[in-house]
Amino acid sequence: MKLNWFTRKGIIFWPASVVGWIILFLAAAYAVYTFIDINGRSHSVSDVTINFVFNLLLIGLVYSIIGYFTEMRGEVD
Amino acid sequence: MKEDEEFLKKMENLNVPEVNPTGHPKMVKMAIMNAERSAALGVWLVAVPCYFLACVFMYYSFNGHISWFGAMFKLATGLDKTPGIDFMAPIVLVVLPIVCIIINALAITHVHYEKGAASRAGAKEFVITIKLRTWNILLILISLAIVFTFIAYVMTENISIKN
Repeated sequence: MKLNWFTRKGIIFWPASVVGWIILFLAAAYAVYTFIDINGRSHSVSDVTINFVFNLLLIGLVYSIIGYFTEMRGEVD
Repeated sequence: MKEDEEFLKKMENLNVPEVNPTGHPKMVKMAIMNAERSAALGVWLVAVPCYFLACVFMYYSFNGHISWFGAMFKLATGLDKTPGIDFMAPIVLVVLPIVCIIINALAITHVHYEKGAASRAGAKEFVITIKLRTWNILLILISLAIVFTFIAYVMTENISIKN
């Protein structure tokens, strides 16, 4: 089955369909939720920065893996 | 009429470039994976361990009395206490760079077995071709550096615990 949910611009996978936009929205919503959660439990700015950026990069990684496998393929390398 | 004749003469005396068909590649060397897509995903795969190492470097620079191993140990134990990431630390810091090495290596290498090569009749050749693509090679080198850093850390940790 061919899934054309994303299109790649550089290192960013950009949504190309409704499903792609839903995934992007969910990823952004989860990132905001983790920030609020981590901010509530942290005692310093460095605590928030270290833990949140780590989580944000992981969310970006999972999003990119989904984008990698569901990218529109029209070109030959 | 005269102009036409002159034109024909000119065309007849044109120097035609000689094409040597044997000089052209005999086969299209297709890699297993798309190089640009692999590089795009590779950046995300090394971003997390690179961020961790950047944090270690900052901790090491701002705390003059601590060694690089101490800084790494401190942040690694801090990572273990973070909910959701505690069990993922080794996967994120070692497995992801290894995945990055594999996908980028597959994107730039082409392996071909040739029986009875053109140079020597009857000779068997295993030809490995590596495409020189800057981003893919750079990502492989960064991933190797990350993996070796963590191997060095784990070895030092084991030795220090035993002693």
